[in-house]
Amino acid sequence: MKEIFKALGNVVIKMPQGFYVTFKHLFKKPVTLDYPRKKKPMAPRYRGKHYLERYDDGTERCVCCGLCAAACPADAIYMEPEETEKGERKARVYEINLLRCIFCGFCEEACPEEAIFLGQEYEFSADDRNKFIWTKEDMLVPHPRKDNPFKKILRRVRKVYGTPEATR
Amino acid sequence: MATETKKDTRTAQQAPTVTLTIDGQEVTVPKGTTVLEAALGMGIHVPTFCWHPKLKSVGACRMCYVEIEKMPKLAVSCATEAMDGMVVHTDSDLVKRGRKAVIEFILANHPLDCPTCDKGGECDLQDLTFKHGFDDSRYDFLKMRFTEGAVHTTFDDVRIGPEIILNRNRCILCYKCVRANKEAFGEYDLGAFERGNITEINAAPGREVSNPFSGNLVEICPVGALTNTDWRYKIRVWLTKQARSICPFTSSGTNTLLWKEDHQQKIFRCTSRRNDDIDDGWIADVTRYGWSYVMAEDRLQTPLVKKEGKQVPVSWEEAIDLVARRLTEIDDTKGNVCIGGLINPQLDNESLHAFNKFMRVTIGANNVDHRLDYPMLPAQGDTAYSILSSQPFSIADIDTSDVIVSFGSDMLKEHPNEYLRMRKAYMFRQAKVFTINPYAVKNADIASVDVVYAPGTDEIVVNAICLAAIEEKLVDAGRAAGLKDKIVPNSAAEAAETAGVELDDIKIIARSLADGKQVTFLVGELVARCAEREPIAAAIANLNRLFGLTDKGQVARLARYANSKGAEKLGLTPFPAPEVKAKLERIFGGWPENEALTTDKMLVQMNKEAINAGLVVGANPLLLYPDREFARECLERLDFLVVCDSFETETTAIADVVLPLASWAEYAGDYVNLEGRTQHAEAAIKPRFHSRPALEIIEQLARAMDKPLFESADERRREVAEVLAAQAVLPWPNDYFEVSFDNAAADSEYTIPVFVGDDPHHAGHLTEKSPSLSNFVSEAYVEMSIELAAKLDVKAGDSVRVESEAGKVIVPVKVSDYLDTDAVFLPRNFSSAQVNSLLMRKKRVNRVKITRVAD
Amino acid sequence: MSFYSPVITNAAEVAQSDDLHLFRYVEDPEQHNVDTYEKHGGYVAWKKVLTSMQPDEVIAEVKNSGLRGRGGAGFPTGMKWGFVPKDSPKARYLICNADESEPGTCKDRVIMERDPHAMIEGMAIGAYAIGSHLMFCYIRGEFGHCIDQVEAAMKQAYAKGHLGKNIYGSGYDLDMVVHTGGGAYICGEETALLNSLEGEKGLSRIRPPFPAVAGLYASPTIVNNVETLAAVPHIINRGADWYKTMGTEKSAGSKIFSLTGHVNRPGNYEVPLGFNLKTLIYDEKYGAGIPNGKKLKAVIPGGASTPYLKPDMIDVGLDYESLASVGSMLGSGAIIVLDEDTCIVWSIMKLIHFFRHESCGKCTPCREGTGWLEQLITRIEHGEGRPGDIEKIDDLCGNILGRTICPLGDAAVMPIQSTIKHWRDEWQYHIDHKKCPCANTHEFK
Repeated sequence: MKEIFKALGNVVIKMPQGFYVTFKHLFKKPVTLDYPRKKKPMAPRYRGKHYLERYDDGTERCVCCGLCAAACPADAIYMEPEETEKGERKARVYEINLLRCIFCGFCEEACPEEAIFLGQEYEFSADDRNKFIWTKEDMLVPHPRKDNPFKKILRRVRKVYGTPEATR
Repeated sequence: MATETKKDTRTAQQAPTVTLTIDGQEVTVPKGTTVLEAALGMGIHVPTFCWHPKLKSVGACRMCYVEIEKMPKLAVSCATEAMDGMVVHTDSDLVKRGRKAVIEFILANHPLDCPTCDKGGECDLQDLTFKHGFDDSRYDFLKMRFTEGAVHTTFDDVRIGPEIILNRNRCILCYKCVRANKEAFGEYDLGAFERGNITEINAAPGREVSNPFSGNLVEICPVGALTNTDWRYKIRVWLTKQARSICPFTSSGTNTLLWKEDHQQKIFRCTSRRNDDIDDGWIADVTRYGWSYVMAEDRLQTPLVKKEGKQVPVSWEEAIDLVARRLTEIDDTKGNVCIGGLINPQLDNESLHAFNKFMRVTIGANNVDHRLDYPMLPAQGDTAYSILSSQPFSIADIDTSDVIVSFGSDMLKEHPNEYLRMRKAYMFRQAKVFTINPYAVKNADIASVDVVYAPGTDEIVVNAICLAAIEEKLVDAGRAAGLKDKIVPNSAAEAAETAGVELDDIKIIARSLADGKQVTFLVGELVARCAEREPIAAAIANLNRLFGLTDKGQVARLARYANSKGAEKLGLTPFPAPEVKAKLERIFGGWPENEALTTDKMLVQMNKEAINAGLVVGANPLLLYPDREFARECLERLDFLVVCDSFETETTAIADVVLPLASWAEYAGDYVNLEGRTQHAEAAIKPRFHSRPALEIIEQLARAMDKPLFESADERRREVAEVLAAQAVLPWPNDYFEVSFDNAAADSEYTIPVFVGDDPHHAGHLTEKSPSLSNFVSEAYVEMSIELAAKLDVKAGDSVRVESEAGKVIVPVKVSDYLDTDAVFLPRNFSSAQVNSLLMRKKRVNRVKITRVAD
Repeated sequence: MSFYSPVITNAAEVAQSDDLHLFRYVEDPEQHNVDTYEKHGGYVAWKKVLTSMQPDEVIAEVKNSGLRGRGGAGFPTGMKWGFVPKDSPKARYLICNADESEPGTCKDRVIMERDPHAMIEGMAIGAYAIGSHLMFCYIRGEFGHCIDQVEAAMKQAYAKGHLGKNIYGSGYDLDMVVHTGGGAYICGEETALLNSLEGEKGLSRIRPPFPAVAGLYASPTIVNNVETLAAVPHIINRGADWYKTMGTEKSAGSKIFSLTGHVNRPGNYEVPLGFNLKTLIYDEKYGAGIPNGKKLKAVIPGGASTPYLKPDMIDVGLDYESLASVGSMLGSGAIIVLDEDTCIVWSIMKLIHFFRHESCGKCTPCREGTGWLEQLITRIEHGEGRPGDIEKIDDLCGNILGRTICPLGDAAVMPIQSTIKHWRDEWQYHIDHKKCPCANTHEFK
């Protein structure tokens, strides 16, 4: 008998108590997000998808020096250089294996040409392991970052050179 | 024994020493050592840019400052001689400040384009800046930029040679390249121009840096000012590994590093691995760039078998089975002596030994030879030439010699490493150098006397030296007794006249040979390739005996190929040295009974159809044998020809079975250099395509014939070591040789003597497949003197028809200023030109006529 | 009729003096003729040396005289000759360094133009002293007239038997070669001169080995200045003791000073060493003061490569020791006088431009340092200097001084250091006010 009352008491008192929290949240702003219809804005320094930067004239910034690959703790970057007609050095192959990448951003720090940076995107799922290997074409796309701090930096070579005549 | 006692006396008269203190440690060094060398010898790091161990110090970079007590200023250690009682500090504050200042000055105008610079990662300036420099620059002006002549716009790169790219902005003006070019190589195609801070290194006006040692300039550049096209923008240095290898093209066995990447299985470049006993850290371009044939895409990929007149690709199993079956068949039907074997002496010891065993045990025939490009080889084993060829030789002894004679040897083309040693002895020790050749050679510029004798009078020149010595009483009369009667002619004057040389020159040489304290007498390919090599060798043996050269130096015929000496020591000849033969007999459990056949004899037998099957490993006799038509005729008569090679060649084209051969970089092996020194070469990559090393092919063949060669790899190695340990040096005879001379009259129509050899940038038949070397020279030419060109009314680049009795070729003219007689030179390395079709194996001197081809 | 460069000399005074000797006959238009030269007592010393003296005696005599090199360094000549190894089997060479290119110096030129035989005779005596049978005269290429004069004199000397085979029947052979340089300042430095003479690029060589041991073609070589050699015949003629009566104790003899810049009578003046600098500038016989009555601002006492002197320091004797005691050097004896309107930074800018242009490019501090300094100093003079530039210049100078192969690096920075020390406020003015205080007075700008 006692147990019956106890159970009844739970139903009558404890359940509304519990539901109170539930009902209370009906009128509160939800904590979760309606992903994928809605997306959370990322922190400004979030490290997501890699982008390769171009100069204003459209040439690639990356000279394939290999410092990002050397700095990469996960050994996720593979590259092969080649020579352009102007005798410049550029990447023929530039691949990042996203399954290895730990998004530490060391590549961005190591880059002497400010060619690579980590953007805000974080959606990488794919149905094939090969699709996780990002090539140059995947990364040389226009990126949404507006306040690019590097845009103003001229090509290093042009910045520091004079001509012999300058001092002659 | 003789060499050992010599060394002992040399150590006994050691130079005086000095004792000094460096960083608190006392050290005793020979007098004349610089402070820098003393410090480096103690393992103390003193940074340098312009110092190179094999060049004279100039003290240009000022990086090697040390503080020496009681000296008012910082001293440059590379140019300060160590003195008794010196107290040196290499790491004091003053020194550190001095180094920092130098680094700062150098970096002031250095572009810092390290990300694009190929030197990045192995750059001296990077390393030393990291260790000694500032982290920031006080230089706030625009950097100097050299744009003149730049082809590549962004970095102002200038291509100054077939394989060299110059970036003057990066140059820190250590002058190492210019100095090495001048001091070590004797070349003047690179120089420094302008002065002050606009000084630039550049190619000499109107020339390009294409000398046969130009690659070294890139290697010694401390920054990325000189880079080579092979390595340009290919890979970062820290991603590569190095395989310690040996040069497969020259006989010195210069030590090299092959820079490879394991994942890609690619070789990227070849650099030197300094070994003072052999190469001083300089390697010839043929060594440096020759490797690129390994990575060529037109290599043989699978075995080919001739089916219905066409070669079709088959599997290895099928090819091996076929070869084994056919060989067994021929063995059964015609006898084992009907199989001949030729092997390239560029292969490693174990391959050579396996081939030897295969031929002499599995087949059971005595038909083995590695000397493919020598006509009319002697038919027995103890001739003067064989004795001369077997003599010991030491490269390092060239350095200490005070008289060096090169006889019948175009050293630059045949033995670039020894050529440099001769130059070094001349530059640094003022050794007397003599060159005695039938045509002018490149090292004549350092020669005290350059003798150019009439082609075909080789032994007369040697006799003239002997006669001059006797006439001038330069040698002991007792020693000379009996020589004069055995040689022709009777007087030095007559001999000199016959040979067309100055008697005074001959006398000078004779006097130097008699007076020299240590004499090196080198005999080269022009003698070895000559059909009359026996009388010449006999004359040299007489000369050696007369002057007692072996007692006070060395007389040697230089082996030509990477493992020629090894092939000789391993008994790959028809007549191995007695001790070698005894060892082999024991290992083989017997010796084939048939008559031993040299390459020549084998070809003759093939012609007679007495040999029906041929096995050619790694060689191209059609290109290199000095009588192309004869070789072709003989090989085509074979019932069955197996050729192993890395590329399709004219010899593989007529083969019944072609097996793709792996290159030296694709397997590990030991090589014996011309001194008899055994060296190991590591494998850089796995065999490309489906090629296999020669050893593997031979072993598989033997297994397929149910007669395995070795029970285990250990047994194989033990056998090789045992044979190599045998004494292969033949003793000089105790008497003078008779030397007669028969002056064959020159043909009336064909008047111009022709010499065929290797181009300075090529060696053997494989290097023409190297794209890098093809940038230097890619086609055959006929090299002639300015006078002859004028006489024939041709200019450089004109096509001419070179005709001999045997054949003709059409090649462009190259005019060289160092030649001064009418003899012409043609390189044999190019299959397109078929230069050996001009030669006839029985002729002593091949003569040609040259006519202009109408446009 | 030959053309003489119109240089004022004190030949008249010298002619009256008993002791001064170098300029005694330079105003005689026929002095370049061997006959006139012989009439004036020429080639007597050479004959005396050849017929009655041993090489060792000649060296001892010159050593006793206290003659010091007049090219700049002031090394005792006799001692230098004594360094030539006696037992070397190699040929020896004597080279007369007539590559006079120190800015402001024009003393050798006068000797070569007007009295070339004095130089040739001195060379011959020097060559005999060291046992040389071949001597070179390395003249800078711009001195076209000097080259003609010296070559003509050499031919006359050959014709008269002063040079050639078996001179004066003594059995001694001596040949002379006149070599013209390309006009590089660095080739006045002895080792660069040797390289240039060998046909190489004129880059200085590292020492040791010193040229006296391994110089031209790796053989013992002595390189002497024209003025030094021209004094040698007089020493032989009149004895070392006479020579020592001139000058000071350690700096014996007389010397030609080329007085240039802002003085009323610029010219070459031969005076005994130890002569007062102030007298030389202000005395009517010599400089006769500064034009337009302006005040003195600075004096460079020994050519462009020596530290500047302030006006209060010029009451000093012109000899090696006295000038060293006020922090400068005698150098080649080119005294450049700057008046009060001259900007010190401007003058330094002109000097460093010269040294940057003439640096040979072999060793790093000089090659890169002079270029950097020129840019910095030009920037300051043009009013674009930045704070800290002076300290940077001073530091860079310290990094070049004493760190180079040859003295060119030292020569370039010592004047700069001295001006920063003495006129620091003027340097600072350029940076603070972003302009040059005397900008409108530089007519040569």
